[in-house]
Amino acid sequence: MTCRLFENELSSYLDGELPAARAARLEAHLQTCPHCQREMEALSGISARIRAASSNLQVSQDFDQRVLRAVGSYRVTTRRRRARPLTKPLLVLAVILLALLGLIRHYFQRPVRPPVPAPQPAAAGYVPAPQGAPMLPQRDR
Amino acid sequence: MEEAAGPRVLSQDAYLASATDEELVAACVDGTPEAFRELLSRYRKSALNLAYQMLGNGEDAEDAAQEAFVRVFQAVPRFRGQAAFSTWLYRIVTNLCLARMRRRRGDVDLETLGEPKAADSPSQQVTEGLLTRQVLQEMSPTLRAVLLLRVEGGLSYREMAEALGVPLGTVRSRLSKARIQFRKLWRQFSQSEAS
Repeated sequence: MTCRLFENELSSYLDGELPAARAARLEAHLQTCPHCQREMEALSGISARIRAASSNLQVSQDFDQRVLRAVGSYRVTTRRRRARPLTKPLLVLAVILLALLGLIRHYFQRPVRPPVPAPQPAAAGYVPAPQGAPMLPQRDR
Repeated sequence: MEEAAGPRVLSQDAYLASATDEELVAACVDGTPEAFRELLSRYRKSALNLAYQMLGNGEDAEDAAQEAFVRVFQAVPRFRGQAAFSTWLYRIVTNLCLARMRRRRGDVDLETLGEPKAADSPSQQVTEGLLTRQVLQEMSPTLRAVLLLRVEGGLSYREMAEALGVPLGTVRSRLSKARIQFRKLWRQFSQSEAS
């Protein structure tokens, strides 16, 4: 295996992500190769440099507030912490009860209609005109 | 008088502080806003660091990190927990940063790099910090993303493969290329600084 092939494995080795057998071969190579040792040193410093570059970065004080405001969670939280007023559920209950009472009242207090008289048999002297008989013209009064 | 021995009841804050990420995600889904606040408190710094190193600008980084948390909040009911919460969050941060970089077409130079709000730092450290950010900005976005997910996010190769939606072998080779490119650019910029 040439140095170039080992170089490609240095990164995975540094991260502890190289399979054991390949790691053992690389370690053996590192013992005898100053070039790869230098490469290894150079690559291992990169993570530290990157972390150092962001270590002084400070989060704005209102970062959380801005996120929470954006998701609407901030208001929910403060609302939850207050005692929940009972006004709203009681009002809803009252409206439902009133509606029920109204319905019951409407049902039981419907005006009693007088009984409809049964149809009387036709008067004795009246004989209905047979079907198809000509209608008599109405006289003007 | 002896106190009656009973189960110790944790306050909500203590419970949330000791909960795992998965438990906090579940609590978020159940509508506990404090669980989201705890996740925010755990990951705000690392999300911001990742965004900052990706974008090289403090203001943009804060915007991207905030947008990422908002997206997390909105999408948390659909989060199935196949990946770790951190992997998911870093993927969102990375994608948002890549989208921002595409929009501004990578026209970042040293003058436009926002200074981090740093406490008094030794000048050497400031110079190295600037150089690091300059190098990162010069790197190809995909290589930068994989390097930062590893260094800032602390993701394993498998987690990075999930976050970036690429095979494990691609992560391995990209990371190797990223380190080699970083070292090459570092040398280049160090020499030009010195001359």
